[in-house]
This record gives sequence, C-alpha cells and structure tokens, in this order.
Amino acid sequence: MPYLYNTPEDQQAMLDAIGADSLEDLFAPIPAALQLDRSLDLPPALSEIEMDHTLRTLAAQNAHGGNSVCFLGGGSYDHFIPAVVDTIGSRSEFYTSYTPYQPEASQGNLQVVFEYQSLITRLTGMDVSNASLYDGASATAEATLMAASATRTRKKILVPASLHPEYRATVATYLKNLDLQLITLQTPTGVLDPDLLASALDDSVAAVVLQQPNFFGCLEDAHRVSQLTQAAGALLISAFDPISLGILQPPGAYGANIAVAEGHGLGTPMSYGGPYLGILACDQKLVRRMPGRIVGETVDRHGKRCYVLTMQTREQHIRREKATSNVCTNQGLFALRATVYLSQLGPQGLRETAQLCLQKSHYAAKQLCQADRFTLAFDQPTFKEFVIRDAENNVASLLQSAQRAGYLAGVPLAPWYPELADCFLVAVTEKRTRAEIDGWVQALTTAQGACSKRPDLMAQP
Amino acid sequence: MRNTRDTQSLFELSRPGRRAARLPACDVPEREITDLLPADAVRQAPPELPELSEPQIIRHFVNLSTQNMSVDTHFYPLGSCTMKYNPKRNERAAAMPGFAELHPYQDESTLQGMLAILYEMQEMLQEISGLPACSLQPAAGAQGEFTALLVAAAYFQDLGETRTKILVPDNAHGTNPASAVMAGFEAVTVQTSAAGYVDMEDLAAKLDEQVAVLMITNPSTLGLFEPNMQQIAEQVHAVGGLVYLDGANMNAILGITQPGAFGVDMQHYNPHKTFSGPHGGGGPGAGPICVTEKLAPYLPAPIIVKELRVAKELRVASCESRERKESRVTSCESREQATAAHNPQLATRNSKLPYFRLDTNRPKSIGRVRAFFGNVGVLLRAYVYIRTHGPAGLRRVAENAVLNANYLLSRVQHILPVPQGNRCMHEFVASASELKRQQNISAMDLAKRLLDYGYHAPTVYFPLTVPEAMMIEPTESEGKETLDAFAETLFRITEESAELLHEAPHTTPVSRPDEVRAARQPVLVWNG
Repeated sequence: MPYLYNTPEDQQAMLDAIGADSLEDLFAPIPAALQLDRSLDLPPALSEIEMDHTLRTLAAQNAHGGNSVCFLGGGSYDHFIPAVVDTIGSRSEFYTSYTPYQPEASQGNLQVVFEYQSLITRLTGMDVSNASLYDGASATAEATLMAASATRTRKKILVPASLHPEYRATVATYLKNLDLQLITLQTPTGVLDPDLLASALDDSVAAVVLQQPNFFGCLEDAHRVSQLTQAAGALLISAFDPISLGILQPPGAYGANIAVAEGHGLGTPMSYGGPYLGILACDQKLVRRMPGRIVGETVDRHGKRCYVLTMQTREQHIRREKATSNVCTNQGLFALRATVYLSQLGPQGLRETAQLCLQKSHYAAKQLCQADRFTLAFDQPTFKEFVIRDAENNVASLLQSAQRAGYLAGVPLAPWYPELADCFLVAVTEKRTRAEIDGWVQALTTAQGACSKRPDLMAQP
Repeated sequence: MRNTRDTQSLFELSRPGRRAARLPACDVPEREITDLLPADAVRQAPPELPELSEPQIIRHFVNLSTQNMSVDTHFYPLGSCTMKYNPKRNERAAAMPGFAELHPYQDESTLQGMLAILYEMQEMLQEISGLPACSLQPAAGAQGEFTALLVAAAYFQDLGETRTKILVPDNAHGTNPASAVMAGFEAVTVQTSAAGYVDMEDLAAKLDEQVAVLMITNPSTLGLFEPNMQQIAEQVHAVGGLVYLDGANMNAILGITQPGAFGVDMQHYNPHKTFSGPHGGGGPGAGPICVTEKLAPYLPAPIIVKELRVAKELRVASCESRERKESRVTSCESREQATAAHNPQLATRNSKLPYFRLDTNRPKSIGRVRAFFGNVGVLLRAYVYIRTHGPAGLRRVAENAVLNANYLLSRVQHILPVPQGNRCMHEFVASASELKRQQNISAMDLAKRLLDYGYHAPTVYFPLTVPEAMMIEPTESEGKETLDAFAETLFRITEESAELLHEAPHTTPVSRPDEVRAARQPVLVWNG
C-alpha cells in the first residue's frame, strides 16, 4: 500500500510490544459476529498510473473551461484565478495543517484568518467577520438563525423570490423544525417591490434577506429595503457578490446588519459547486451571536503581537447544545485563497475586475437582444448577470444547440421559476473576451430552430 | 532564518499606488457607469484593500506558511482528527480542469465523467458502511449530522409520531448535541461508565418513545469499540428510535466491520479524516451520509442515479464540441461510449449504455442544506484515495491505524496512564492527572513542550470525561521509528523541570498567547 510505513518486521515487533498475537487480535473488542467475513465489495486497487489514466478518461467526458466557454452563473462563476493564489494555496504547510487549536504551532493560519476577517470587513463595510462558513447558502441560513436569536420574539423571515432559489431552499430546511416561518415575496418585475415589502413587514418579522445583485442579476433598491426593514425593527441580511463590491455600494453602506456571500469567486475554482467559501460579517452588536470560528489579536507571554481562536464560548466544542451553531470547521483553505486573491487584486484590481464584468455583460446582453428572438426579461439595472427571454419558448433545445457549438450558454430558469420557463440566466465575467461573446451570440442566434437570424447585426470577432 | 519583516500585517506592508494585478483593457465598447447603474448603488471609493506587489504577497504568505506545523512537516497526532498523510495524487486529480472547471449548472449530458465518479462514490460509501442509500450533499461532518437528524424528523413525521429527544453520550463531539438542537430536538446526555462505555442503566432510564435518535460515536472518542453496541441498537430500535453513527472514527473499522451490521440506521463520513482530506488549515471537509432503505426517501435532493439508455439517445456533448477544435481532439470518453456516439450503426447493435442523471424528483426529501451538489473537490480526493487502496488496502489502513495506536499506547502508558485500559482502536486518551499531582505538569504543559521538540500536540482536555486528557491518534501513515521517538520525547519532557514546561514552548514564533485578553477585549480586525 502506498502510504503505509511499517515493514512486516516492524509490525511483528510492535505486536510483540503490545502483547498481541496478530493484527486480527487487535480487533478482538469488536464482537466476531459483527466482523466482516469477506472483503469489501469495492473495485480493486489502482496504481498511480492507472488512476491517472482513469481520471483523464473521465475528465475528458466533461465539458469544461478547456473545451467550452462558460456563460453560466447563478452563484458560481468562471472568474479568473491568479497564479499566486494557486501557489500559496498549494503550500502544504497550509493545506495539510488543521484547526489552530495550538496557536504557537499555527500562527501562519491564524494571521491569515485575521487578515481575511479584516479584508472582509473592509470589503463589506461591516464591523466584524467570522473565519468563514461552508458556502453562501448555509451562511444565509445561519444568518437567519442569528437574526431570530437576536430578535427573540419575532418568528418570521421574509425573502424575495429574487433570492437564489437554492438559498431559499436551504433557509427553509434550516428553519423547518424550529419555531420560525419563512415567507417568500414574489418579484414579478425582477426585484423586490418596496411597497410589497412594507405591507409584509410587522413586529413579527425577525429579518429580511436581500440578495444584491439578486439571482436574476438585477440590482435591488437596497437603501429603500433597508430603511423599511430597520423601521419595522427587523434585521437586514444582505447576500452580496464579493466581486461586485469593486463598484457597488457595500452592505454596510446601506445599513445591512448581517452580510453573507458565496466567496468562491475570490480565488476558488468552480469544482462543480464545492467546496466553496461562506462569508459572514455583521454589526458589532451581533458579534457574540456569530456562528463558527473567530480569530482575535492578543499578545503572548513576551508581549509580542499574535493571534488566537477567540470567543470560543459560542462554539459547540465548549457549549455543546447551547452553542450558537453546530458548525465546527471553517473553510480555512479558501479563506486563505480569498486573502491572497484580495491582496493580489488590491482596490484598483477589484474595481477593474468589477468594471469588466459590468461592461462585458452589458455588451453581451445588447448584442444578443439585437436578434428579435431575445429580449431582457426584466427592465432593471444589472451587474454581471441578466435574464434573457426566448420568444420561441424553446430554451432547452436552444441551450443544447449552443452547447454543441462549445458554449455553456445559460442556466434555464424553468426548474425554479415555472413562470420563467421561457427564460435563461447568463453571467459574463472578466474572463470572457469580445470574440467569445460574439461567438456566443452567434451560437444562440443561429441555433437550430432559430428563425430570426440577423447576421447583418452580428459583430465580427 | 525567520523573516519577521515580511510577516507584518498586510496592512502594514501596503503602500499607496502599489499594485500586483493588471487586468486586460476592456475590449467591448465601454459605457458610462452612470448609464448602467443607479447613482446610489455605486460605491464612492474602492474598498480599502492593501496595495501590494506580487513578490511581497508571495513572501508574506510563504513566510507565514512556515509558522505552521502541518502533516507534511511534522508528526501531528491530534486525536479525533485523523491527521494522516494527504496524497499528492489526490491534489493533482482535484485540480484537473476536467473537474475543477465544471460549473454546477452545466447540463448533466456535459458532466457524465463527473457524475460517474460521484455515482461510484455513493456506491462505495454505501458498501463501506453497509447502508444502502447515500447523499453526498452535506458540506461537513456537522452538517451531515444535522441533515441526518432532519431525515429522521421527516421519517417520524411521516409515521405520524412526535418524538422530541436525541440521546448523546457525554463523551461525544460537541457537534452532536448542537446539531440535535438545530434540528429542533432536545439533546439529552447519556452517561458513560468509568470504563468509557455507554452506561446501560442510564441509557435504559432515558430511553422512551420520545427518543427519535441515539447518536453514538463508535469507536468512541476514547478509542474504544462499544462492547454493547448490538444491545444498544436493539434497545433503541425496540422503542422505535433510530441509531446514528458519528463516523469521525471510521478509520479504525474500514473493511473490518460495517456500521449497518452493528445496528446503525444512518451515519456520516468525514472524508477529510478517513479518506485523507486534506484538512486545509480548518476546512473544507465534506459530510456525506448513508442511511437505511426506509430513510432513503427523505435524503436531500439530488441523488445521482444510473440509467441504461439506448446508445443512439446519448449525446456526448463535450466530445462533439471538442471535435470542432481540431487541436484538442484526443481520445476522451470511455471507448464504449465514444464508439457508440460516433458510430450509430454500432450503437444500435450495442443495445444500452450507462447514463448518469441527477434525480431531483424526490417528493419526500428534506430539501437542501446548501447550494449546488456537494463538496465535490473533497469527494473527488476521497474517491482517488479509495480507488488507490481497493478493498484490501482499506482494511490495511484500519489495521495499521489500530496497530500504531496500540503500539504507542504500550510505549507511553508508564508515563501517561490510560484510564480506559491497555488496548484501543485507532486512538487512545491518556491522562496527565498523576503528573499534575506529583510534578505539577499538566496536559497543556506537555502539549506546549512537545511543540519545541517538533511534534504537534495531541488533542488536550477532550473528551471532558477524562481529567487532564491527551487524546492521541497516530494514524496509519506513521511508522514505528516516529512513534518510538515521540514516546521517548514524552518521557524526556516528564523529566524536565515544571518551571521550564510552564513557560513552554520556547522555540516557536510566539509562546502562550493571552487568550483571556483576546476574549475580553476582542480585536477581530486590523485597526492599525
């Protein structure tokens, strides 16, 4: 076996020292009747070369960045990952270490997380950040639990339908067996109508969750939603896109009490949806209700600045059933990657990345909508994503056709929004070139069944 | 050798106007931002991120990395965490563009290779646990616990039963009672005996028809296989309850026994522990769960199902698109599939081929616990680990993990008694209480001094049921020499003066941080 160390002689010497007759003897505490009397029914072991071959064969069956152009979004994005992020993320002193329970042996991890927390607060305009959670959806669910515990007697969580449907589903699961109610407000215009929100707000509402930009890519009226929410005594949870904060107002600026995000766009690959980075930041007054790990600065016995896990009396390993959450791990490796990513981009780089997303996505929408077949589903400002309506109501075959041309062209909305079955969601990141966008337009406008080809309007790559 | 200049805070290293990233010029016609976005949505000034050069960034983080102990640099016998070697071939696999660059909302026809792996992963985890259904969705062990308890709640609700309690032994991980409360239950503690086993009298007293689930860690956090396991499961089942296994310690029983065989109805895995992670400085993990047939309908959706489809119905989209890019034509998908896709005549002769589909139509499912499919990058590493070992290899992992733990126990028990006896499974919990009484040396002193000798400390002060606990798990990927040297070092430390130990460690970048100050006057962000 490749990773074992002891020779047969070692094993015998060890068994002798233990006073055991055989390896089987060590398992005597397991009643014989419970022991397997056969081998596990698993495929036989593969050597590294065979494994590599198998993996390459399987990897080649997938459409991916190397053979397709990605216009998919909806919470996972094809953002660029600078080489420095991979270089630092591959340092095995980081990735083969664990939870910094021994601060003297973990100052590297601890300082990185402290820097991560500091960067997240600067990015969001919030007071404090935890050391990260699993992903954006579970961070949103944890935020609703924080809000409910902070507002005690209030039992309702309001979410617009423009919040990511899988985030809503996750929140629903988390609230299911607790004495809390999830209420969804419809968003036929693509954003939450402040008047509808006002009519739904009362003193039983613990929190409103607003995604900015929302699942459809549209910008919500965050200031107005925030005012209404605060005036009703509820907390505002903002689910933001970290890249968007290069140009958009941060949650702290419009008065969010808790800000959550999917942070994978900060240097972690798409990897078919995980593992990702759940960001959670909040007001100072909510800090002791935060779930998960938090790193704090202190001094050592020589008075030297250093970092430790702190406020652990919130956590499950100390408080057990009275903990703020059951969360144990954070996403240390991706907090590291996000810290390196934000260091590499800096304020200007993040702004330019956001600007490229903005400009390219608007260009893409404009070019596609020159074809009669396609229109924007919502008349709202957007950042890097937008929803396209297909006049022929034939989204599935349209996207399949584009797929055959090498474009992952959009995410159909039918599974989540039956009323938007003729629509698909498109994301354009800083990685997309004009030629790729033009090719995507061409693939969609010349798709099988498309009757409104207007090659005269096609931009030349 | 230590470079403290470059490990200053990022904010101290920052200088206005310095930058590392250059973005491409915008290659589409640019429009005024004010034409595209409402004025009150636009940020006035960019976020106050540090301004650094790329060489500075590398030097900062590389130097910080050297302030960590890690499995790749040190023996790391952190009990309950299974700090085994993290194979490099797993890392390479997860980084392959054909896996790392997959978007979660790609059409399943463009993901057949990925779904084949995840389907096989479901099957392999089911076989290892002896339980017939699996969800790969949970993001970590604790989330796996929470998910399984929601599955149990949905099951009882379907039966029309209202059960309110979850039983948890006192030496369980803290996540167990915390998950119980999040799932809407009351957590009730069951005592363990002095020998470290579930106290059968206390269990009997607390077991009634209000009990939904008993959560048990077996082997336990004390490294013991529960001798009354069958009896416990029978008693829980007799009142209609379910048995949940905290799978943190699966490393000890891979291929030796299956939880399904000892009465477990549901369990989670910690792939970052059992299947070689890595631990990532605190995560990511993953928390796939396996359950019995009757609980399967309640698992989160989607689950991957395998269908046999007539070959001509199959579209191998990725390959078709690749054909258009001549430079990239390579032999790709399984030969059978490729042949079928490209040769319709042959395909019709070759009746049916496997197709992997995401089954979202699961009306009794508890729903989702996170967005997207699961922590696929972690599962992929675990897949490579399991495939690298095969059935015999996994058994050898368990054998050597248990051999190493027993050997180390035999080497240290004369200095650090093990209250629960002289045999263990994959780990053991020693107690420094004798040393504390006789020499004023605590478990913490030993832990800190071990760092000076180049060993990561064991887990200390857990489980809470053992005074001055030191929980030691060597794992199978260490060798006799390492264990001998570690035991000798522990012995040498006990001969050192208590004063020296109270101030240890002496060689690390910092020593004994003031944790009270950190908690009472929290400084959680850079404000220099």
